[in-house]
Amino acid sequence: MRMNKLLRSIVLAVFLLFMIVPLIATLLFSMSTRWDRTILPEGYTLEWWKTVISRGAFGLTLKNSFYISFATATALSILVTPTAYWVHIRMPKNKIIFEIMSAFSFGIPGVILALALIRFYSGVPLPLINTTNILLLACMELCFPFMYRPVANSLDSIDIHTLTEASQSLGGNWFATFIHIILPNILPGIASGFLLVFSTVFAEFTLTNLLVGARFKTFPIYLVEFTRFDGRQASALAIISFVVAWVVSTLLLLVSGKRALSPDNLTIGH
Amino acid sequence: MKYATQLLNKSSIKTRGLNWFALIPLLIFSIGFQIIPIISLISSSFSTKEGLSIENYQRAFTPHIAEAFRNSLKLSFTTAFLGVGLGLVVAYAIISTEKKFMKNALIALADVTTNFGGAPLAFAFIVTLGSTGVITLILKSMGVFLYPSFRIYSISGLAIAYLYFQLPLMIMLILPALQGLKKEWWEAAINMGANSMQFWARIGLPVLTPSLLSSFFILFANSFGAYATAWTLTGPDVNLITVQIASLIRGEVQLEIGLADALAVISLFIILFCVGGYLLLSTKAKRFRT
Repeated sequence: MRMNKLLRSIVLAVFLLFMIVPLIATLLFSMSTRWDRTILPEGYTLEWWKTVISRGAFGLTLKNSFYISFATATALSILVTPTAYWVHIRMPKNKIIFEIMSAFSFGIPGVILALALIRFYSGVPLPLINTTNILLLACMELCFPFMYRPVANSLDSIDIHTLTEASQSLGGNWFATFIHIILPNILPGIASGFLLVFSTVFAEFTLTNLLVGARFKTFPIYLVEFTRFDGRQASALAIISFVVAWVVSTLLLLVSGKRALSPDNLTIGH
Repeated sequence: MKYATQLLNKSSIKTRGLNWFALIPLLIFSIGFQIIPIISLISSSFSTKEGLSIENYQRAFTPHIAEAFRNSLKLSFTTAFLGVGLGLVVAYAIISTEKKFMKNALIALADVTTNFGGAPLAFAFIVTLGSTGVITLILKSMGVFLYPSFRIYSISGLAIAYLYFQLPLMIMLILPALQGLKKEWWEAAINMGANSMQFWARIGLPVLTPSLLSSFFILFANSFGAYATAWTLTGPDVNLITVQIASLIRGEVQLEIGLADALAVISLFIILFCVGGYLLLSTKAKRFRT
C-alpha cells in the first residue's frame, strides 16, 4: 500500500521546497544588504533588524498584540470553562448550545463579522464602536470553538460525575468542587485552548483593521504598513510573526500532546 | 456512578431555573455578538429608505461586483481543488515514509504552516516570487522570465499564496482518514488478485470520498472568506468579494452600506452552505474510523 519510493521522494522534496523556500527567503531578505540582482544576497547585515526593533512603534504594537491576545484568551477561558462544566454535569442535553455557537464562529469570516458588528453597534449607545472593547469581543467570538473544544474534550476524558459526587459527599459545594477538583483536572485542556486563542488573536489582522483601524495598532497591522514602504524591515517583522506562531504550536504540543490543528479547531478566512 | 447527576438533576422548577441562570453570561454573549448582529445584517440588507426591498441585491449585480463574485468563486474553487488533490498525494507520501522521525517532522511542518496565513505569508511570497524575488531571480538566470507575464500581485499569484495554507490544512484533514485505511483491506484485495490500481479504484478512493469532499468544502470556505492575505499581497488591485466588502466598510468607496450588507449576506450563504456540507460529510467520513 506504500507509495513508490522514488515518487515519494520527489513529492516530499517538492512539498518541502514549496513550504520552506518562502521562509528562508524572507529570513535572508531581512539580513541582506542588497538582493535584487543576484541569486544570493550581495552581503549580510543586521542593520534592518536593529532599526526595526529600535522603533518605538515596534514595542508598542508588540505590547498591544500581547495585550489583546492575552485578554481574549483570559476572558474566553473565564466565560467558557465554568459554564462548560455546568452544562456537562447538569444539563448535558444543552451541549448543543455550545455546538451551535461553535458552528457560528466557525462559519462567519472576519470581514462579515466586522460588518455585522459595526452595523448593529453603531446604533447602540454602548462604549463599543471604535474601541478595543469591540475588538476584544469580536476576537472572543472568532475564537470561541478554540477554547470550547479542548475544554470539552478534557471534561469528557475525566469522570466528572464521580468526582463531583465524591466532592459533594464530603460537603463541597458547587464552587468549591469546580475550583478544587474539576479545574486542576482539566487544566491541560484550558491551557491548550488558551494557547490556540492566543496565537489566533496574535496573528489577527482583518477584525483589527476593520473595527479599530489606526486607533489600536497591533503587530500584524504594523507589519502590513511596513510592507508598503520598507521590505527588509517588513521581512524582519514577518519572521517574528512566524517565530511566535511556531513557539506557540510547540508549547501546545508540550501541554496537550496534540497538534494545533485537529479538524476540531479549524479557523477559516486568513 | 450517575447518582450525582441524578442528585443534581432534581427536576424541580427551582433547580431548572437555576440551571439556566448559570448560562446567562454565555447566552448574552451569543445573542449579543452572534445572533443579533447577523440577523440585523440580514434584515438591513433587505431594507432601504422606502422600506422592504431587494434593491440592495439588484445593485449587487453590477459588472464590477459580479466580477468580484466570479473571482472569489474561481479562486476558491481552484485552490480547494488543487489543495485537495495535491494535499492527498503529499499526505499519502507522508504516511508511506518509513522513518518515524521524518514522518513526525513533516507532520509538524504541516501543522505549523497552516497557521502561517495573513500578512506575514503574503509578504514572504513577495520576497519569493515578486518581481525581484529569489525564485524569479533564479529562473531569470536560467533564461526563464516570469515577469511580466506572471505577477505575484495578481489572482494567480494569490492562488499560489493561498495554496501555502490550503495544502497543509488538507494534509492535516486527510491524515486521519488515510491512517484509517486498513492494511488488511489491502492484503485481502491483493490476495484475491487485485492490483494496486484496482485497490484504489474499488476500495481506497470510495472509502476516502466523504473525507475528500468534506475537506473540499472546508478549503473552499477557507479561501472564500480570506481577506488578510489578499489585501496584503494585492491591495485593492484584485477584485475579490471580501476586498469589496472591506472597502465598503472603510468607506473608501462612496458610502453604500446597504450594498455591503447584501454582499455579506450572499457570501455568508455560500460559506454556510460549505460549512453545512463539511459537517454533514465529516460525520459520514468517521464511519470507517475505529
